[in-house]
Amino acid sequence: MSKVPARVRWFTDALLGPATEDVAPGALAQLRDDLARDLEALGAELPDGERLQMDAFKVRMAHRHPDRCMSIDDAFVPSSRSSRRAVGVAAVNRCVRGRSPNPAVAVAEVLAEGLEDAAVAPGSGAVRAPWWAQWYAELPRGGRAVVCAEAVTWATQLLTAVDWQQVPRPVIGGRDDWWPQGRGARVVLKGRADVRCLVGRRPVLLVVGTGRCQADWRVELGYPGLVAALGRDASVAPCRVVGVWPQSGQVRVLPVDFAALRATATAVVAGVGTWVDSRIEAERAKQVGPAVVVHGVTV
Amino acid sequence: MHCGSVPIAVKQPVTGVLARDGLLRRLRGDGVPRPEIDPGLAGGLRDWLEDGLVESVGALSSGTDVVRVNKESLNQVLLCEAHLVAGRRAPRVGTVELARGSLVDALFRQWSTIGVIDDPWADAVASFEVDGDRDGVLAFVAGLPETHRRRLAAEVAEHAAHITERWPVPSPAWLPRTQERLEVPLCGGRVVLAGVVDLVLGSPAQERASVCLVELKSGARRLEHRPDLHFYALLEALRSGAPPFRIATYYTGTGELDAEPVGEDTLVSALARVLDGAIRLCRLSAGVEPQRHPNQLCAWCVGLPECAPGQKRVGADVALVPSRGAAVDGESS
Repeated sequence: MSKVPARVRWFTDALLGPATEDVAPGALAQLRDDLARDLEALGAELPDGERLQMDAFKVRMAHRHPDRCMSIDDAFVPSSRSSRRAVGVAAVNRCVRGRSPNPAVAVAEVLAEGLEDAAVAPGSGAVRAPWWAQWYAELPRGGRAVVCAEAVTWATQLLTAVDWQQVPRPVIGGRDDWWPQGRGARVVLKGRADVRCLVGRRPVLLVVGTGRCQADWRVELGYPGLVAALGRDASVAPCRVVGVWPQSGQVRVLPVDFAALRATATAVVAGVGTWVDSRIEAERAKQVGPAVVVHGVTV
Repeated sequence: MHCGSVPIAVKQPVTGVLARDGLLRRLRGDGVPRPEIDPGLAGGLRDWLEDGLVESVGALSSGTDVVRVNKESLNQVLLCEAHLVAGRRAPRVGTVELARGSLVDALFRQWSTIGVIDDPWADAVASFEVDGDRDGVLAFVAGLPETHRRRLAAEVAEHAAHITERWPVPSPAWLPRTQERLEVPLCGGRVVLAGVVDLVLGSPAQERASVCLVELKSGARRLEHRPDLHFYALLEALRSGAPPFRIATYYTGTGELDAEPVGEDTLVSALARVLDGAIRLCRLSAGVEPQRHPNQLCAWCVGLPECAPGQKRVGADVALVPSRGAAVDGESS
């Protein structure tokens, strides 16, 4: 009898099922042109000198809480939550490759390597420390323990969700997708998947969600699929994106067909529009100065 | 340094090891066979909950916020709906007990993850600094008078010593994860059952239940802690499709461990309680007048000045303040 839990088997089957939908090369090229035109027009409205880098978080934020976009600063602040994925995928990678016996050991090794790299990197052109390493090196023990604990929990959830022996050559973590490439664009899309593997010639993306699956999960999963497809030929565009929300145990599968790409592109354009508006408003507020309330009326 | 290392200060060769061994045996439930997984159980429990909630959810208007059911809201709404509503209206007040609980939770997490606690106060404070201090623990502690802060630090150190003496650092092979969030959406996400388990041990279940949930308490042992655990067992069953084989509350002040196996009866009774509470929470979200159930906590309820039954219960003669949109005279159901 198989030792793999039924849920894990089912999830892995959903990940690796044969590709059913093809995207016609002409249709993908048309979508690419339309999106480039729309994003260029929106980018032109950005305040002088500004660029907008969209990611899955910003797309979700624009859809769920457009009112909050204006107050969100682009400055990145490292935290235990923002580092758990980066450390976690490296740890899962170690476990799947057989280099570590379990997530706790793997996370400890990844963090130790990060410390070594952070110590060596400043004087070396050859070593590049991961983004979290220097920040982590400066934390006291209690802070480091939280980073470790968050990453162990995250890594354990991903490691135990998939029957890795069935997944051919998984890329865990891997590079983000960027579109359009090149320096000129003022709006750039960044797509990220936690795991990639191939079904035939076509990639499958796996995304680990936080909390529970929301009503707009098609956009959440469609976004990394879209960004990956935009930078590739139709014949090697992703065939599906699988989302797993370990905290709720939910799983969703989005076949990447033309309808899904078109719907996601529409949502992305709307999201970019929201962010551009918020940037314009923020710039205006900067020029005018803070609002003053007199007798309950904002002046 | 990794799991298993023990700081010099906490080495207690014989008694410590024995205590940890005994605790481990009770956590594992040695000698008790782990229950087989019924593949239809979780789906059945979910259907039962959703069927029971459908009417209450249907009464919510479309713009109503998600109804979140967690252990606090469940305990409060089942105790007295008016108490819950009054508590939500009042500003959140920190207490030394809450701060101690949060700080000890952080140290337990650290111990379970890296197996070292050097300076309990510094370690706990650092954990909140890196984690964002969402509950304002650091701000509360900073606002305490120096003598109170020193007393709190001493208490935290005492709890930390108990943890390192008595609690075994879990083997990494058991896949320990700390502060694991559970979220179970029901009725299309209109109702969400939510919780955070302090420590989860064990890999996903195959044919038999294989997960153990541990909840940490820094306060005194109380009867209400048992239903909290049962609630978490239900959440885990709904989330993963398999209930835990064991649930436990560990009291850091005394080293006591309340551990129990999880049977179908545990889950069904937890479900009945959750359903009762969730229906009440839905009613309150729909704007229905909260019911008043005088109880032993009335004297500490922030809503007491506007609650006639509560005042009657505690024998107070405080002048009644008319509640906002609520009748104050008479005891409803």
